[in-house]
Amino acid sequence: MKLPVEGWPEVSGQGRVGAVRRVVLLALRDLRLEVRDRAGLLSILAFFAVMLFIMALALGPEEEPLRRAAPGVLWVALAFGSTLLSTRAFALEVEEGTLDDLLLAPGGKEWIYFGKLLFQMLLLLPLAALALLMAAGLFYLPLERLFPLFLTLVLGVLGYASVATFYAGLLARLRGREVLLPLLLFSLVVPVVLASVRATTGLAEGLPVAEISDWWQLLLVFDVVYLTASALLFPVVMEG
Amino acid sequence: MLKVAQPDRPDALTWVFLGLGLLLLPVGLYLALSAPPDVNQGYLVRIMYLHVPGAWLGYLAFFVTFLYSLLYLFRRDPRHDRVASSSAEIGLVFMGLALVTGMLWARPTWGVYWTWEPRLTTTAILFAVYVGYFLLRGAIEDPELRRKAAAAVGILGFINVPISYMSVKWWRSLHQTQSIDLTTGKIHMDPAMLQALLFNLLVFTLLYLGFVRFRSLLAALEARKEEA
Amino acid sequence: MLLRLEGVGKRFGRDWVVRDLSFTLERGEVVALLGPNGSGKTTLLRLMAGLLKPTRGQVERAGRALFLPNPPAFHRHLTAREHLLYDLAFHRQGKEPEEALDRFGLPGDLPLYAFSSGMKKRLALARLTLLFPDIWLLDEPETALDKGGRDLLLATLAEARKKAGVVLATHDRTLAERVADRTLELGVA
Repeated sequence: MKLPVEGWPEVSGQGRVGAVRRVVLLALRDLRLEVRDRAGLLSILAFFAVMLFIMALALGPEEEPLRRAAPGVLWVALAFGSTLLSTRAFALEVEEGTLDDLLLAPGGKEWIYFGKLLFQMLLLLPLAALALLMAAGLFYLPLERLFPLFLTLVLGVLGYASVATFYAGLLARLRGREVLLPLLLFSLVVPVVLASVRATTGLAEGLPVAEISDWWQLLLVFDVVYLTASALLFPVVMEG
Repeated sequence: MLKVAQPDRPDALTWVFLGLGLLLLPVGLYLALSAPPDVNQGYLVRIMYLHVPGAWLGYLAFFVTFLYSLLYLFRRDPRHDRVASSSAEIGLVFMGLALVTGMLWARPTWGVYWTWEPRLTTTAILFAVYVGYFLLRGAIEDPELRRKAAAAVGILGFINVPISYMSVKWWRSLHQTQSIDLTTGKIHMDPAMLQALLFNLLVFTLLYLGFVRFRSLLAALEARKEEA
Repeated sequence: MLLRLEGVGKRFGRDWVVRDLSFTLERGEVVALLGPNGSGKTTLLRLMAGLLKPTRGQVERAGRALFLPNPPAFHRHLTAREHLLYDLAFHRQGKEPEEALDRFGLPGDLPLYAFSSGMKKRLALARLTLLFPDIWLLDEPETALDKGGRDLLLATLAEARKKAGVVLATHDRTLAERVADRTLELGVA
């Protein structure tokens, strides 16, 4: 038997518009926190730099092997960086202190998922662009076709982040289990890594866009499927 | 699958599946070993009689997990979760069998234990996903959260299969290496071979059904003990 | 009726922290939750809020619930005003936080890392008066508050009881006697 809900007028009563607004505000708030806390941003940037540098040392110094390895190294670095960042997105909620506040907000919990995802994208895309530049420098990766390269970055990072956000949220509720994140994540995002690397390689080798577009389609399918599935499943695993 | 309320022992159907499966297993083995060798592969082809049913049942098992995970999320009935996890457990065994036999087959054929063949690779990925499934289950104390999280992984993991397969297939096709086919597609099937294969498939299916029912019963008993 | 618990039990691993508890809360009521440390007061509040699901039994809410943990949880790098503005937006409310900041004597532009624990408590109370849920769940709200803060707490509770229901977990029996209509005692199992 359900208790009748004693009407509580939502003061701003914005419904649908409110949903997007909350998502954006959450993302901007987290971004603001990240910028103020500086340490987080810098450490992820440093991570990319160190990782690319070490891999360049390991695989170089000849140009040819470096150039061939470049897409793979770039995307592995992005994968690890994304994992770190997604854990941060929820660790930011100060160990279930402020996470409760978000969970108690009215309406379904999908907005939290999208807000955290948007936050990661806003942070990861610039960082990914920087990583791309570093890869161009250290690995002789040609940068002529910047726009298609960037599109690949967006599609790939989105695929990765969509799953990472889901798992990071789930694991945030289990203390000390973040170690499971790589296993859970990497087994699912194989298609993203494969497709992104292939697309990047193709672009670097000067293949026509028509040949790359298959990979973009795969990435798009992955993104849509996993964004939807994760957004639907997120509220389920975040409730009590 | 389990419709009987509070059973303490495996029901008749479970025994039928298990019994029949175990009885017919030696028959299947006999058929496999007495089937003629392949024109190209010789006696090596006999791994197929384990490999193919193993892979089939593995995928079937994970599909069942996927279905019951969905069912659980809609109905929130713990029985569905028990079937899902039991099926995943049995699936892991069959999948492991498929992977190992695949590797054993690859070694004499190409001299390497591993090859990035799309089906094998996708199977390996799926195997990793369900190992993750069980690690996650083990990491969550609260039973309801455990069920929900497991259901989520069961769903996310399975929808990955077609996407993973396509990505690995395209990834490989760029390299122009020989297309390796571990299933029956490229083998001329002698009727005796087909019969052996199908028979073993039947045996494995019976065993799968029996094991899943049995394992679900064990899970129900465990759950009852936990609630006491 | 704002809140109803029926036969609610919660277990962590092998331990039953809450056992077979039934409880109702009406609008206008203030209920004090008393009991020694470890008796499950926080767990019970979180069950009431819906942050935890019960192992047994049911929890039903007719209205929004908010939970005030002890100590309150805030983001260190936000200022008080920013925090309240974000919270209001997340709760889909368009109010202004200025009046609340004034009333609780809080510097709006000070970042949270510079707040004392007493100030944080007051900010948490200010937040609740702005968001004004139907069900107020407070975990030891009296801790860290000085005399002025305590007065604010009493005033806030008086305001809350007019339109909502309050459950507060506390060690302070004087406070409980002063504000509560009834008490619920939790014993150690």
